Amino acid sequence: MKKIVLITLVVTTALFASLRVDTTYSTLGAITKRVGGDLVNVTVLGSSKYDPHFIVPKPSLLSKLRRADLLIMNGGGIELGWLPPLIQNAHNRNIQNGAKGLLDISHFIPMIDKPSTVSRAFGDVHAEGNPHYTTDPHLVPIIAKAIAEKLMQLDSENADIYQKNLDAFTQKWQEYLKGYDAGLRSCRGKKVVQYHELYNYFLKRYGVESIGNIEPLPGIAPSSKHTLALLMKMKKDGVKTILQDIYHEKKTAKFIAAKTDAQVVVVPHDVGAVKGSETLEKFYNTIAEKICQ
Amino acid sequence: MQKKLLLSLFAFSSLMANSETDALKEQLQLQQETTQKLLSQVEMLEAQQQSSANTSASFSQNAYLPDIAMILNISALSRDVKNSEYENYAIAGFIESGDAEIPFNAKRSFNLNYAEFAIHSVVDPYFEAFAYLHMHPSELEIDEAFVTTTSLPAGFRIKAGKFKSAFGRLNEKHQHSWSFDEQALIYKSLFGPDAISDAGVQLQWVAPTDTYIMAGVETLQGSNERSFGDEDPNLFVGYLKSSIDIGDNLSILGGVSAAHGQTEKKQSSNVYGVDLTLREQLGSYSSLVWQSEYLQREKDVDTSTDSQGGLYTQLVYQFNKNHSVGIRYDRITKNETDLSAYAGVDTDNLERYTGMLEYKPFPMSRLRLNYSHDRSKIINGTRQDINTVMITLNIAAGAHGAHSY
Repeated sequence: MKKIVLITLVVTTALFASLRVDTTYSTLGAITKRVGGDLVNVTVLGSSKYDPHFIVPKPSLLSKLRRADLLIMNGGGIELGWLPPLIQNAHNRNIQNGAKGLLDISHFIPMIDKPSTVSRAFGDVHAEGNPHYTTDPHLVPIIAKAIAEKLMQLDSENADIYQKNLDAFTQKWQEYLKGYDAGLRSCRGKKVVQYHELYNYFLKRYGVESIGNIEPLPGIAPSSKHTLALLMKMKKDGVKTILQDIYHEKKTAKFIAAKTDAQVVVVPHDVGAVKGSETLEKFYNTIAEKICQ
Repeated sequence: MQKKLLLSLFAFSSLMANSETDALKEQLQLQQETTQKLLSQVEMLEAQQQSSANTSASFSQNAYLPDIAMILNISALSRDVKNSEYENYAIAGFIESGDAEIPFNAKRSFNLNYAEFAIHSVVDPYFEAFAYLHMHPSELEIDEAFVTTTSLPAGFRIKAGKFKSAFGRLNEKHQHSWSFDEQALIYKSLFGPDAISDAGVQLQWVAPTDTYIMAGVETLQGSNERSFGDEDPNLFVGYLKSSIDIGDNLSILGGVSAAHGQTEKKQSSNVYGVDLTLREQLGSYSSLVWQSEYLQREKDVDTSTDSQGGLYTQLVYQFNKNHSVGIRYDRITKNETDLSAYAGVDTDNLERYTGMLEYKPFPMSRLRLNYSHDRSKIINGTRQDINTVMITLNIAAGAHGAHSY
């Protein structure tokens, strides 16, 4: 038995002379694949089916973290509820807090919605600001650069390849963004409401105005009092679009829609969250399509 | 890169201006866009300047202060046995009358079970430290205080200090993270309220395999008087745990554990355990968890060996973000020991039924209604069924780390 395990180990190491990279979410994973190419073996820990704040820290994730050379996390407090015990119990020194193999992307991002005071009396607020930055396609080059630089640091032998991948990807992405931005110009000034402040980075980028949230406070389930107030506000401001994510209950959004003639659109929060959002481009196209249709 | 983008935007805007049909409005809009882009670039540069060079520091909640949380557990309770009688209960073969320690939910009406300070901090690049200071109304107890290594190679980790053994499934869990407010009957019977919690050293190893396999050994002082009690360091614990996922949503965790120690009379005492947990994830906020565990003790007493064991099996259904419901069945299945002190008392079918309904308005607070029908205890020398209903409130205020699986 032991021998088989050892042999498998040796064979696996020989076959994949590449970096094992774990990312907490799928958009980060998709970007890593683009800049890492064949040199990296990417594993996404948190399925895009689920609320990113509440990934279940199941033991199979420990075996994924155990052999990681690099753990790329979103940061901004979003993983606080599930990742620390996994890091503590995976027994992998590469990815410990402060180690070279832990990369927190939020440090590279100009975070928005930073609260001036932090208290759980305001619900699940993050001191570092809104952590849902991957909905803004303009931040993708920043993320790609941070990841590429980390890969170059960890795998300096292949630094040229990572640089080449990064340059090619960035150029392609800027091209993509030109068309993307042009398509979204008509969306400026549109008013929406959202369930949770998942899309603020996108909305801010393209001048879409979010006039309220279905949840009264971040992480707090809707209340009838708050829902009624939101209804009134939507009617007054003529809001016709409700942004709904895939993992929260849809009852409240549907109720509001019925009372206001607004439309509920299900917007992906991460690559692969809805059908047709499996690649980076498709993901951002779907967001644009859903919000600005 | 950003510069190129800006340049192209400028070029673009001047082209647009040439077209006469496009009114000033459009131009203004483009100017606004440019301004906003510049503003966000300034924001970004400022943020970059502010952030330190070390981009992998995270989770720190107070620069160098440890993360500190206060956990408070209180209850309102109703029981059909008087307090004075309940505190002298016996469980035939396991706990003699007057010998039961009841630190939680002991009394009818109100109980302040504990206020606990949970402290965690990274010590340096090599160690992390944890302490759980348990304060009962009239005593302070060090529930756990230990360090773990963070830099050992090859999947090893050492824990040293006073800690809860990772024996079985429940042993390591703190009271506030249990699914039911009362301790599983077999744990209570074999180990008492703190389970195996002792000073010592633990070595754990996670295998570098696709399937989760974890092996651990511990050497402990052996101060648990119920099962061991010889305080020359003599308690050895070993376990093997593994988990597989079936599809995206079903995960199975199983383990086998053994503890070998000595009683006060220097006679051998061994406890074995098997556990199995199945968890079906039904959505982000919904799951069905079936957890079972069987423990058996072989304890040498004078010239014979007591062979005693029991199990619990529980099913917890979380049906939305705020609500869970659960049931548990506890039973002593084996009780081969000297029961002559209980002549004339029925000592068979020691069991308990428990149900709970939980409301969690937020991840940091929990209200739970817990009902148990307990058929395992002897009160005043006679077997008596005990019914207990309680409402418990548990809060974790401050920087409280997430719980492991």
